[in-house]
Amino acid sequence: MGKIEWAMWANEQALASGLILLTGGIVGVAGQFRDWQFAAYAVAAGVFVCLLEYPRGKRNKGTSVERTGQYCFTVCVKSFGPLTRNYYVRAFIHAGICVPGGFMLATILGCVCLGIASLIYLAAAIRGEHWEPILPRKDSARKPVADSINRPPQNPPPRPPAEMRRKRAEDLEGAAYVNPIPVTANE
Amino acid sequence: MALSVRSWVANEGGKHFLLWLGGNTWLFMRTFLCYYYGQQYHYLHKMLGLGLCISRASASVLNLNCCLVLLPMCRTLLTCLRGSHRVTSRKARRLLDKSKTFHVACGVAICVFSAVHVSAHLANIVNFSVRYSEDFPSLNVARYKGEVTHTHTHKPDLRITGVLLVLILFLMFTASSYCIRVSNYEIFWHTHNLFVVFYVILMLHVLGGALKYQTNIEAHPPGCLRANQSSPDPTREESGQALGDGRSCKEEARFQPNSPETWLWVSGPLCLYCAERLYRYIRSNSPVTIVTVVRHPCDVIELRMLKKDFKAHPGQYIVLNCPSVSSFENHPFTLTACPTEKKETFGIHLRVVGDWTERFAELLLPDPRAESEILPMVQQRRYPKDGWRRFRLRRLYFVWVCRELQSFYWFAELLCALHRKLWQENIPDYLNLQLYVSQTDGLQNIPEERYQPLSSRLLIGRPRWKLLFEEIGKTNKHKRVGVFCCGPKGISRTLHRLCNSDRYSGTTFEFNKESFS
Repeated sequence: MGKIEWAMWANEQALASGLILLTGGIVGVAGQFRDWQFAAYAVAAGVFVCLLEYPRGKRNKGTSVERTGQYCFTVCVKSFGPLTRNYYVRAFIHAGICVPGGFMLATILGCVCLGIASLIYLAAAIRGEHWEPILPRKDSARKPVADSINRPPQNPPPRPPAEMRRKRAEDLEGAAYVNPIPVTANE
Repeated sequence: MALSVRSWVANEGGKHFLLWLGGNTWLFMRTFLCYYYGQQYHYLHKMLGLGLCISRASASVLNLNCCLVLLPMCRTLLTCLRGSHRVTSRKARRLLDKSKTFHVACGVAICVFSAVHVSAHLANIVNFSVRYSEDFPSLNVARYKGEVTHTHTHKPDLRITGVLLVLILFLMFTASSYCIRVSNYEIFWHTHNLFVVFYVILMLHVLGGALKYQTNIEAHPPGCLRANQSSPDPTREESGQALGDGRSCKEEARFQPNSPETWLWVSGPLCLYCAERLYRYIRSNSPVTIVTVVRHPCDVIELRMLKKDFKAHPGQYIVLNCPSVSSFENHPFTLTACPTEKKETFGIHLRVVGDWTERFAELLLPDPRAESEILPMVQQRRYPKDGWRRFRLRRLYFVWVCRELQSFYWFAELLCALHRKLWQENIPDYLNLQLYVSQTDGLQNIPEERYQPLSSRLLIGRPRWKLLFEEIGKTNKHKRVGVFCCGPKGISRTLHRLCNSDRYSGTTFEFNKESFS
């Protein structure tokens, strides 16, 4: 029930696949296999996918949780405009990136995982989702203060004149009061 | 912030599950050393090297964790255990409350050790081919020498079960982050239900029998010379074991695949969990009658229901499923009224916030049939009915923060009744009530005369937790204070940090929280 946002899941998968691709590539290069060029490509591709997928998109409804320190990545990714906004483009980019990873043993897992992420991005794109950057909220949400703050009251609050307030010597009964707390002399 | 050792141990000591860590470490080292030094694996070890030991050790840790990961999810069983007389220590009960954390820890361990296992097996694939053994052909997995080498890679025989397992694990892991659980719970739930497929494929995975051990060690001590062998084994000195030592072998080495032991580990918890799900399903089939629907301010609906043979304790929660709204969705709600001997109805308060609750509220006005499934998880008691002296609770501080003033009307009657009752029993300081309205530009006063105890305890603005904790610490020195938090992550994190810090004159604060995501 209710709309599921597939893009969010695809984003998590793509980030994880980027890391798997990167790890596989590092292992391939370090082990000096013959097709190590594919492994080196996988390292670069893994880094690229991680950078692209690190900033989370904004949810349609509800609060969006940012990843730590994603603001600079958001700005970079936003600057590519429709290329990164559209999920069809992302699906095809990931599908294209993952293919060379399939030629080498160490990177084959990253290739398959990125392929799955690409399929889910395709599903998200078909359902009409797109990437919105999470930008810091401007503080215009605060209600503007009323204009009377610039005009403080000129007069003190109303109270009777000083003669009436002073206690009179004739009226001792009226001036006396019972102390609620018992007063003792200082020892 | 300074850390109070006493509070930290009370809050985190059990959590680190030293026993679990120790068990994993011990199992890993034991299996590693068995394959490293074991006589029956001597030839295999020569062929594969460290890859053999690491892959088998990580496999045994995976066995343990796949066994343990299901147990914290048997919630009915855990509740019975927690409420039974056998579990009397509060520490044990708090440990049982952290079952979800334990499940997550086992899950993470499974992912990490799967990565280790896969890498080690990749190294094994290469070594099986590079060190193809002419002497012991039955030990080989590669079809011929050089099938997979550093210079040229044919298609190796990748175990398809292994690949499928890793893919399922990938799907489950990526769908279980906090963000996805909060926004699209269905993705998390349905991918996690793939665990059945995972376990079935796991049982098939171990049937491969690629790694073999030697069966006739006495007749053919590893490293012994054969009739047509002139020089001793050159690697004998490196392995550092007392080997055949130049004795001639009585017979050829014979090998047999390891018998799979995963089913021993996994079948028990799997059957237990399946039995638990079946039990929950059967219990959920009996119908529930909705007796009363009450509308409260701020989009809250109180529901009173009746179900046959339903027992509950304060603090437990139920899970509602309404087929007319959605057949597959189950939503948890804490019970706000439990059935007693005099009154059999139980009640929940639900807030209309998402699409399920909106549709449910629309349907409530006529009278739908709702089936409910109960997943009780017992927490600390909040409403002791009578006989206060029976409980070790000496004082209760109830801090309630709401955005709008009208929210306090949800439980205004209950709180005032409790306050009156405590006055009559001459223990007015048992309950310290503090109500906070966090949005400062709405109504700020409860006008009704009958709710006067509440209006005099109303404070505007957010609570200053540090000051509150200091005050409670000073007035309850050297005592144990249980903090129970039900709310968003921000408050929960602040309170957890405050409970662990060191400024409270000897008072220990134990942190507990309830969260459904």
